Amino acid sequence: MEVLFQVLLVLLLAKVLGEFVERLGYPAVLGEVLTGLVLGFFLIQDNTEVLSFLAELGAIFLLFTAGYGEVHLRDLKASSKKAMVATLFQILVAFASGFLLGWYFDLGFLTSMFMGVAFSPTSIGVVVKTLVDMDYLSSKPGTMMLTTAIFDDIIGIFLLSVVVTMAQYDQIPSMMQILVIAGKLMFFIVVMAILGRYVFSRLFTYIHRMHVKESIFAFVVIVALFSAYFAEVMGLHAVIGAFIGGVLLSDIPLAKIENVQSKVSGVAYGIFVPIFFAYIGLSIDPATFYSIGLFTVLVVMMALLGKLLGGFAGARMIGFDNNDSLIFGTGLMARAGVELVVISIGREMGIVTDELFSAIVLMVAVSLLVSPVLLKMAIGRKQASTQNV
Amino acid sequence: MASISGSGYQVQAEKNGSKDQASLQEDCLTVCISTIMSTDLITLVESDPMERILEIFDQYHHHTYPVVSADNELLGIIDQNIILQILLVSRMPRVHHTHLMAVRSIGEDARGVMIPHPVTISSDMGLCNAAELMVKHRIDRFCVVDDTKLVGMISKHDIIKEIYRIRSID
Repeated sequence: MEVLFQVLLVLLLAKVLGEFVERLGYPAVLGEVLTGLVLGFFLIQDNTEVLSFLAELGAIFLLFTAGYGEVHLRDLKASSKKAMVATLFQILVAFASGFLLGWYFDLGFLTSMFMGVAFSPTSIGVVVKTLVDMDYLSSKPGTMMLTTAIFDDIIGIFLLSVVVTMAQYDQIPSMMQILVIAGKLMFFIVVMAILGRYVFSRLFTYIHRMHVKESIFAFVVIVALFSAYFAEVMGLHAVIGAFIGGVLLSDIPLAKIENVQSKVSGVAYGIFVPIFFAYIGLSIDPATFYSIGLFTVLVVMMALLGKLLGGFAGARMIGFDNNDSLIFGTGLMARAGVELVVISIGREMGIVTDELFSAIVLMVAVSLLVSPVLLKMAIGRKQASTQNV
Repeated sequence: MASISGSGYQVQAEKNGSKDQASLQEDCLTVCISTIMSTDLITLVESDPMERILEIFDQYHHHTYPVVSADNELLGIIDQNIILQILLVSRMPRVHHTHLMAVRSIGEDARGVMIPHPVTISSDMGLCNAAELMVKHRIDRFCVVDDTKLVGMISKHDIIKEIYRIRSID
């Protein structure tokens, strides 16, 4: 009964606070994390095993829907080499700023790697609204941001899979161990690609003829869970498998029927994903907020600056002017989904400490609050300089 | 009232001198999609610019248009929902501002805005099967494809019209 009440409270408050934050002009994820923080402070202190399991499903569905609904392999093929240069450079700078910060504070190789991975991805969805409002979506930096975002998730997931596999070793892996990691990853991707190309597509031609209710929807969920489980068996994390499973289904017409997509989205964003974000808030130890020190401030600053400078320099390298490069850099500062998945995995593995966990959640919250404002300012600066010419 | 249900439908059908349910279904089984699909299609070519796409939506009143390559291979579809989302992108709430929507809204040609991989059927499929698929998966229309080439389209309206025609035959 207590569990039912917990789930009821989390969902109710996540939707109410999410709506409130949306109305203020910020993404609902902020309200959902706040839900967990508030409930953790006042009501839910223990017995969170069921919530923890539902949150794990939330992370799986979050990454599955990212692959299933958003990533199109054809877009990857169509994107230019120039975009690749800017993308790789900004990810490299963001990763380095996280890794070096961890190294500087003597957090150890693995924790520093997790910091680097958590600093790397971008949540482009956060600033799309600003780009649309300022009529800048089809501008040079706007289209480049959209191309970059396609690679961002994929590179982020790749880095996560490397670091999760590395976490099985207690020290910097040897050459042999790196080869084993690469071999496992390759094996997983090859098996999944074969399943996607030859098995899943044929399977769905039989599934859609089944007489039981919701057969296609059920099998889409089954593929998500299978991919997640198979990744775990291969020593990767479930979310990595879920993402790849989603990408493979995104090209199968029967698995992408609008009616099925809407049900998958309903299960993900109506139930599990808000629970995942709320559980992030619930996992924050309030005591860490009383002791916010230089480390937390530096985590926030370096994460934001890493993207800003990396994006700026990457755009300059491919010939953008200062204003466009600044717009590109600020547009990449927002973090949300994948970053929170990364640190929750790190925490679950005992690699990310409470202090680091809270610092990165705070960094995500600050990035969500400031990036649309800074992006507006950067676009305003460009418009002012154009008018002066 | 044109309500058709259960035995009421049969009584009405007998009064009209039309077929009963069983023989109607038997007849439907023998009808092939190729005989009733629309073949006089308005299609978009992958390189058609947005202006052309909007012109087509303004000029004709279909819900969905197929997008084909130069050699008539079906690549995707563009429907009224996509056009509305693109036209009203700035009016949409934040939840609709996904990466995919953003990419579509700056798409310059039909390939850039279409929904790839629509569910298709082949022209030798029976009328009953097509109707069953439409109802089961809540799909209003199918592109009919033979060997990756677009050969026609079939909507719920076409199927209802055909069933009505079969019913009326003595």
